[in-house]
Amino acid sequence: MSTKKTAETEEPRVGVYICHCGGNISDHVDVKKVAENLEKVPGVAVAHTNMFMCSDPGQELIQEDIKSGKINRVVVASCAPSLHETTFRGAIKRADMNPYLYEHANIREQVSWVHHGEAATAKATSLVTAAVAKAKELEALDPIKVDAARHATVIGGGIAGLRAALDLAQRGIEVALIEKSPFLGGQAANLERIVPTGERAADLIQDLAAKVMADSRIRVYTCSRIVKSEGYVGNFKITLKTQPPDSQADLEKLQEVAAKGEKPGRFVPFAGFLAVKVPTTASEQVLDSGAIVFATGFSTYTPRDGEFGYGQNPEVITLPQLIRFMSQEKSRGRSLTINGRTIRRVALVHCVGSRQIPGIHEPDADGGLNEYCSRTCCAATLQAASEIRERYPLTHVLEYYRDIRTYGRGQEEFYERASENHVMFLRYEPEDPPQVERLSKGNFPLRVTVKDTLTFGEALSADVDLVVLSVGMVPSRIADLVDMMKLPVGADRFLQEVHPKLRPVELANTGILLAGTCQAPMDISEACNAAAAAAAKATSLLSKGYVELDPFVAQVDLSRCKGNGACVAACTVDAIVMQTVEVDGQSVERAEVNPALCTGCGVCVAVCPENAIDVKGWTLEQYEAMVDAIVAD
Amino acid sequence: MEPSRELNFDALVIGGGIAGLQAALDLADQNFKVAIVEKDATIGGKMIRLSKVFPTLDCASCITTPKMAASAHHENISIFTYCDLTSLKRDGQEIKADITQMPRYVDADKCIGCRQCEYGCPVYVPNHEEGNFNFRKAIYIPFSNAIPQIALMDVENCSLCGKCAKVCPTGAVDYFQQPEDFVIRAKTAVLATGFKLTPMDQKPQYGGGKIQNLISSLDMERLLAPHGPYQRVIRPSDGKEPDSIAYVQCAGSRDKTLGVPYCSRVCCMYAIKQAMLLSGALPLADITIYYMDIRAFGKGYEQFFQNAKAMGIEFVKAKIAKIEQADNQYVRLRYEDQEGNGGVVEREHDLVVMSLGMVPDWNPAGVCDVACDTDAFIKSTIPSLAPTVTSIEGVFAAGVAIGPKDIVDTIAEAGAAAMEASKYLNALENPKAA
Repeated sequence: MSTKKTAETEEPRVGVYICHCGGNISDHVDVKKVAENLEKVPGVAVAHTNMFMCSDPGQELIQEDIKSGKINRVVVASCAPSLHETTFRGAIKRADMNPYLYEHANIREQVSWVHHGEAATAKATSLVTAAVAKAKELEALDPIKVDAARHATVIGGGIAGLRAALDLAQRGIEVALIEKSPFLGGQAANLERIVPTGERAADLIQDLAAKVMADSRIRVYTCSRIVKSEGYVGNFKITLKTQPPDSQADLEKLQEVAAKGEKPGRFVPFAGFLAVKVPTTASEQVLDSGAIVFATGFSTYTPRDGEFGYGQNPEVITLPQLIRFMSQEKSRGRSLTINGRTIRRVALVHCVGSRQIPGIHEPDADGGLNEYCSRTCCAATLQAASEIRERYPLTHVLEYYRDIRTYGRGQEEFYERASENHVMFLRYEPEDPPQVERLSKGNFPLRVTVKDTLTFGEALSADVDLVVLSVGMVPSRIADLVDMMKLPVGADRFLQEVHPKLRPVELANTGILLAGTCQAPMDISEACNAAAAAAAKATSLLSKGYVELDPFVAQVDLSRCKGNGACVAACTVDAIVMQTVEVDGQSVERAEVNPALCTGCGVCVAVCPENAIDVKGWTLEQYEAMVDAIVAD
Repeated sequence: MEPSRELNFDALVIGGGIAGLQAALDLADQNFKVAIVEKDATIGGKMIRLSKVFPTLDCASCITTPKMAASAHHENISIFTYCDLTSLKRDGQEIKADITQMPRYVDADKCIGCRQCEYGCPVYVPNHEEGNFNFRKAIYIPFSNAIPQIALMDVENCSLCGKCAKVCPTGAVDYFQQPEDFVIRAKTAVLATGFKLTPMDQKPQYGGGKIQNLISSLDMERLLAPHGPYQRVIRPSDGKEPDSIAYVQCAGSRDKTLGVPYCSRVCCMYAIKQAMLLSGALPLADITIYYMDIRAFGKGYEQFFQNAKAMGIEFVKAKIAKIEQADNQYVRLRYEDQEGNGGVVEREHDLVVMSLGMVPDWNPAGVCDVACDTDAFIKSTIPSLAPTVTSIEGVFAAGVAIGPKDIVDTIAEAGAAAMEASKYLNALENPKAA
């Protein structure tokens, strides 16, 4: 405690720590020179360099200087603060100094990755000098502690949502599981057997969904959507609207379920697990929740009209459609039949709607391309190929692929099995995709022609009865939630994690986590791992009963505030209210900040005519000191 | 020998690589007491030995060291390095682990990591950490960002000159240190024992490990690392800056003759990553990747692959049939020209990298009766819905120990294993809650 007090009252003694980042920084910035330059800056007590400041020896360098009393302010110059600010705050805290008496200079992304030579060294010196100027003005701060509800909201009732909900409940956290359709199970409900285990998708969904329904800590809200979301980590307020199903797809599925006489509590193939009775009236309710887990999943890509003949020829279908047809196929003949038509030869085309390349593939209506690999289609296609060959030996199968990506454990065997089953493989380059044309005469309805790179680029034609497109994954349509909660979305249009390795299941919005294919294509096992990892994070967050928020929030200087209310009007998150206070015996209106709601955006600072409001840790005085330092030379 | 002590924890994590560290952190953050047992003298596993990581090209150290430091300083985590696990068994309600602390010949409590012993030692030994490209001493700290920073003596190579003991300011050198057995009891365990690369010398068609300038992918990681052995990329035999570098994909995977029929999942991406880093380090060099299928399936991976193509890296679809030593220390590759005019083609390169695959680093036989699959990795008993569950109740697995995977998938899986372990612990405490 003594360090904290003295740190503020004593003359600032800044320790400057400059990172080589292996060579990421030091290959372009002369870090020794920066240290020498900084040693001359008034108020700098020490300036060190280290190969990796974030490593243990690097952190110890700071801690030793704090403990020996050499320094009472810290400036680290390394990568972006988003990467390691918390690392260095932790190190400073362990040395018993207030962790907010620390300023970070980004000399990697803002310097060494964009500048070279002397200019880089000069800019690094300038940025670190500015950080020192700010550090001298810093004051000790304490994180804001707020109570957290031991409740999590899981959005999406597919496999990932079910997995996350169960995991959370089993750690004693109350869960609201929200699903927009009447069914649980998500896209997995459209599958038959899972690659590579051969388990039935129906059994997996039934297993998870039944456990979810039986758990008293989980409340399942089907036919429900989030219409409003407010609050912050630990204290989200989520407004939920439940209404009778109105989408055509849901109504058709419900009719099928009714026709089969199925009741809630059972899985129905190609529909899902009917969780509860379908509501007949609309209702709204508000949930208090500590964390939100996104498990909004994916949709399958819909081929454009004419893409590989899709939409123009009834004999061109997608892989999910084939799976459904085959599940309904009861004939025991030696040839596959679809809608009564004998399929003598079928062409399976990989990478439809995946691995799209700018300049080669046509963008969709929104101008987007799916440049990513959808990860699951290769194994699923090979499985379908083998199943056809094994069940219907007279049906021949051709596969048109770019690369076979049977990466997963047990998947390579499916590739081999397809080869042993005499599936014929043809390989195409993206610029020369297979061409599907309609035949007006002859025996077959369609001809597929491809420049096959496995036979030295020969153009090979095959007449077929059926073309099946292995369609990829696209993110579910959740633009409403993305807008409402201001969620980061990547160039691939999936939700974007903070960092794929440091914080892979977290969004930048604190308290909102990612589970499964809303983040990127995954198979069921990978989605379950991601969901469990998200549940682990949510549990860590909520298990203490409180959460700590950064103290960088607005504060009002009551000696200056005249109560004009500009800040209240400007605040985008309603974090400022006018309060009646006594000043010199008179009742007056003054601004008051709710620190838990404040995001520290600084809009209020900009509009206050009296300079009476400031963001802690980012005060106008501190900014001015930085600017002065930068323009000084 | 009687165990010297018995320690109790909620959870025991075997392996201090990225999987073990992440699992430990996710358990410790839920307020469970965790022990990490690591066989190496430092935590960090394979990841800390890499240069940069795909697809973000972050330096590996930048991502690993903070997790290493966070584990080392976590109030709920205790780390035991340079330890040999001799038995891991269920013992009633608990998991009992017999562990041998291997002698460092340095008193861990006294060593302050000042490296005076290392500087003073006159013996130079090929440095395995740097692909044997440079030398280390016979007493040394594994590498600059190792945790813990405790010296370790290599008794095989020590000349017993006594210099280290003389210069050590704290009297930490102890030539007579003995192995010490101890026991850890925990309620649950996570196996995160990782991988090793498929051996270089197993395939006679690839020269049996005797070809100059044919190096492993991990060797190339070290050559590319900014703090690596030469601080630049040169070919090892003569120090020539290579003009032409090639990658042999599936050099240790998808190959039944090696007993590794499976895909190792990371080799395509690390080869592309290394190729990109090489085109930065050696802008004039030609880089060729010989592949069967490019498996760029993760988030952002396909885009990474397409960028590499656009950068001019040559991709040749071919399974390399034979690798030979050519004149002037070149390496000759022989393959069927599938994309060109057919027939057998031979090409020579200055430097060739074998994109080796992954095999388990730990054989539980005789130590732990956890079930393994035919691929020798630990068997997942609920592979679709709870992939980290193993055949032993309360024992979970994460990362490559339970099948090849990249760092991103490993970290997610470590979180999942921590979740399973925490649910198990919760159920033990509140039997009704499960």
